[in-house]
Amino acid sequence: MLSKTQILRAQIEEKLPSAFAVYRRQEHGCIPTGIAQIDEAVQGVPLHALTEICGSNLASSGKTSVLTSLLAQATRDHFCALVDAGDSFDPASGQAAGIYLPRLLWVRCGKSRVKLPPLEQAFKVTDILLQSGGFGLIAVNLSGIPERVVRKVPLGSWFRFSRVIEKFPAALVFVAEDPHATSCAGLVLRVGIDAGAVPFAGNLLTQLNLKVEVVRGQGKKPVRSEKYTERTGLSLRTQWA
Amino acid sequence: MFACFYIPDFAVQAALLQEPAETRAALPASPLAILDGPASLPRVFATNMAARRAGIQAGMTKLQVETYGGVLLRKRSLAEEDSAQAALVNFAGTFSPRVESTCAGAVILDLAGMEKLLGPWPKAARNMTARAADIGFDLRIAIAANPDAAFLAARGFSANYVSRPRPGRGPQRAALACRGENFAWAGIFIPAGEEAEQLAPLAVDVLPISSQMLEILHGWGIRQFRSLAALPTVAVVERLGQEGLYLQKLARGEINRQLLTVEQNVEFVASFEFDDPVETLESLFFILNRLLHELCSKLLSAALAAQELRLSIELEIRQTVRQIQRESKEEEQYRHEWKLPVPTQDRNILLGLVRLELEKTTFSAPVRRLRLEVVPVKPRVAQENFFAPPSPEAEKLEITLERIRGVVGDADVDGAACVGSPCLVDTHRPGCFTLRHFSSISDGGGDLANSPLATAPVIALRIFRPAIETAVELDGIKPHFVRLWSRHRRVMAASGPWASSGDWWNGSAWMREEWDVALKTPAGLGFYRIYRDRIRERWFVEGVFD
Repeated sequence: MLSKTQILRAQIEEKLPSAFAVYRRQEHGCIPTGIAQIDEAVQGVPLHALTEICGSNLASSGKTSVLTSLLAQATRDHFCALVDAGDSFDPASGQAAGIYLPRLLWVRCGKSRVKLPPLEQAFKVTDILLQSGGFGLIAVNLSGIPERVVRKVPLGSWFRFSRVIEKFPAALVFVAEDPHATSCAGLVLRVGIDAGAVPFAGNLLTQLNLKVEVVRGQGKKPVRSEKYTERTGLSLRTQWA
Repeated sequence: MFACFYIPDFAVQAALLQEPAETRAALPASPLAILDGPASLPRVFATNMAARRAGIQAGMTKLQVETYGGVLLRKRSLAEEDSAQAALVNFAGTFSPRVESTCAGAVILDLAGMEKLLGPWPKAARNMTARAADIGFDLRIAIAANPDAAFLAARGFSANYVSRPRPGRGPQRAALACRGENFAWAGIFIPAGEEAEQLAPLAVDVLPISSQMLEILHGWGIRQFRSLAALPTVAVVERLGQEGLYLQKLARGEINRQLLTVEQNVEFVASFEFDDPVETLESLFFILNRLLHELCSKLLSAALAAQELRLSIELEIRQTVRQIQRESKEEEQYRHEWKLPVPTQDRNILLGLVRLELEKTTFSAPVRRLRLEVVPVKPRVAQENFFAPPSPEAEKLEITLERIRGVVGDADVDGAACVGSPCLVDTHRPGCFTLRHFSSISDGGGDLANSPLATAPVIALRIFRPAIETAVELDGIKPHFVRLWSRHRRVMAASGPWASSGDWWNGSAWMREEWDVALKTPAGLGFYRIYRDRIRERWFVEGVFD
């Protein structure tokens, strides 16, 4: 004897077969970031998903360093694209980190006399790159864009990006001050500087001590914040250290 | 087997080739003479059959010809003859890749291995003649086992040198097409081994012979190949030397030589001139699509692919009142060139590139003329690198890059490209880089060893481009306060100064003192790189360690 709920459910499923289907995100591979502490925690940046790396624009946060390290790893095995909304990428830093520059397509937004705002340029270029396919990693650096401008991006845009990237074996990474994609993101990392001693060795800046927080991870969203501070010893050294 | 395409009265047919098809069809019935020589005394160089029947002969003066009345006179044009010869070579190239341009109005084709493709030779000759008629040629075709026999047969059996061959002289020797009253034979096939017999009735005039030698032969009463071929070889050599022996072998059809094939230099150019200048892009795209279709078809038929595409657009001449008064004309032209990373025969890819470029271009005047030129190369046939990483499809990548350029622009205000692959410049000047064309091909990762991964992650510098000019308050030589984002920030620690300079030997000298400073900000410590321009004596914030 079926209960009323079961009967009702059967009647609905008869007309709408997928009404109660649960959408499950497929598990796919990752691109390692090259930072052992992050890779241990989240196995790297997931393919077929949107990832956000967040950190302060005003203070040193380490988000650009994480992105550079990720690009250095990704260019070993993939062609990558960097959509630079604020034209802030430093090729010398990139090469020092080990980015294989011939496999990197760098798009500098907001530099020519085109009247379109840099943020819109960045989003349009990302759309074009997604349609084109063939890139293993598409990174969009919104660091130079004021937070109040990025916040105005409608949720629909993030949702669209997350659905499009699901079909491609590529990782889509946004770097910004704050997370904006909410549940559309497969992984959200918040990077910040560790409030401790100023890392000058004598007269020389040698390293930055950072902390990384996994705000949202694959399969468990949102996750409970995990902080990697001095205990994990996450520190990035300077090129000359 | 070899085929010879021979155009009787080549100079006449070359002149007629420029005429419309209707005029060309009507003219053979009228006497026509081609004049050549100095303008003061032009003489008849060539005539058609109607003119010859009327009694007009080569060498007559223009005045003599005009006494006949009703004779069409044309001046000989070498350019027209060259063009007709090129058209004949191109036409022959559609049947065989090995074509020899033997002389004006004659080409020889190597048909070895073509029988299955072209069918039985008599049928093939009929098809060739019919196709030649479509492009305006009245051809004589002969097919033989050696090139010279084919040439002599085509030339000799074109009615001027021999009477109609006797029917029933062999099953292969049959009339292939009867085209008008001027020429009885349009094609002839000489089976291997029967050259001497088939060529026997030809007049010795057909041979490439000097007038002196011809006079000797006529003096001996030798007027046909048959008579020349029957002479004893030793006696011919004794009396006429090697030239005589060569002529005798030709008459017997015994000379077998290699063809001096021409390298076909086909130009891949298509152009269109509008009757009325157009102002809309759609009209342009419609015509461009057609031109590209034509070019890609030519590329396909030649087994080539486009490596470069050049577009040239002529705009309508604009004349201001002043220019009209000065009688000067201004002609504006727009040119663009695409260098493709991978040769392509795909019309849609080429049209996409042209479309993207034209959509972001503004013309100052309506378009009058279009011209497209393709630089052909052999298409890529090699397999891609098996160990290369997955990459954007090379053929479509160029369109993707063009679309991106359409969004972000081609170059910044300093002229540096906005889209490409970064490349460091070999200089000590900080922040120097160029952008190279991004390509996904010919990358086997060979240089990966030259860009090793850092042993541990390093801090990246986020650059402010251009550098932000700032004010710095010093404590001794050390920065104490730095003005940033409209606020004075206290310097918590500083590292420096790191002095560098360069290019003092030329006009772009630079000299700076760098400091790495830790600034106190509401979000925490910010590690910035600031520098002092020692030439302008100003402070700048170059970037932040992020």
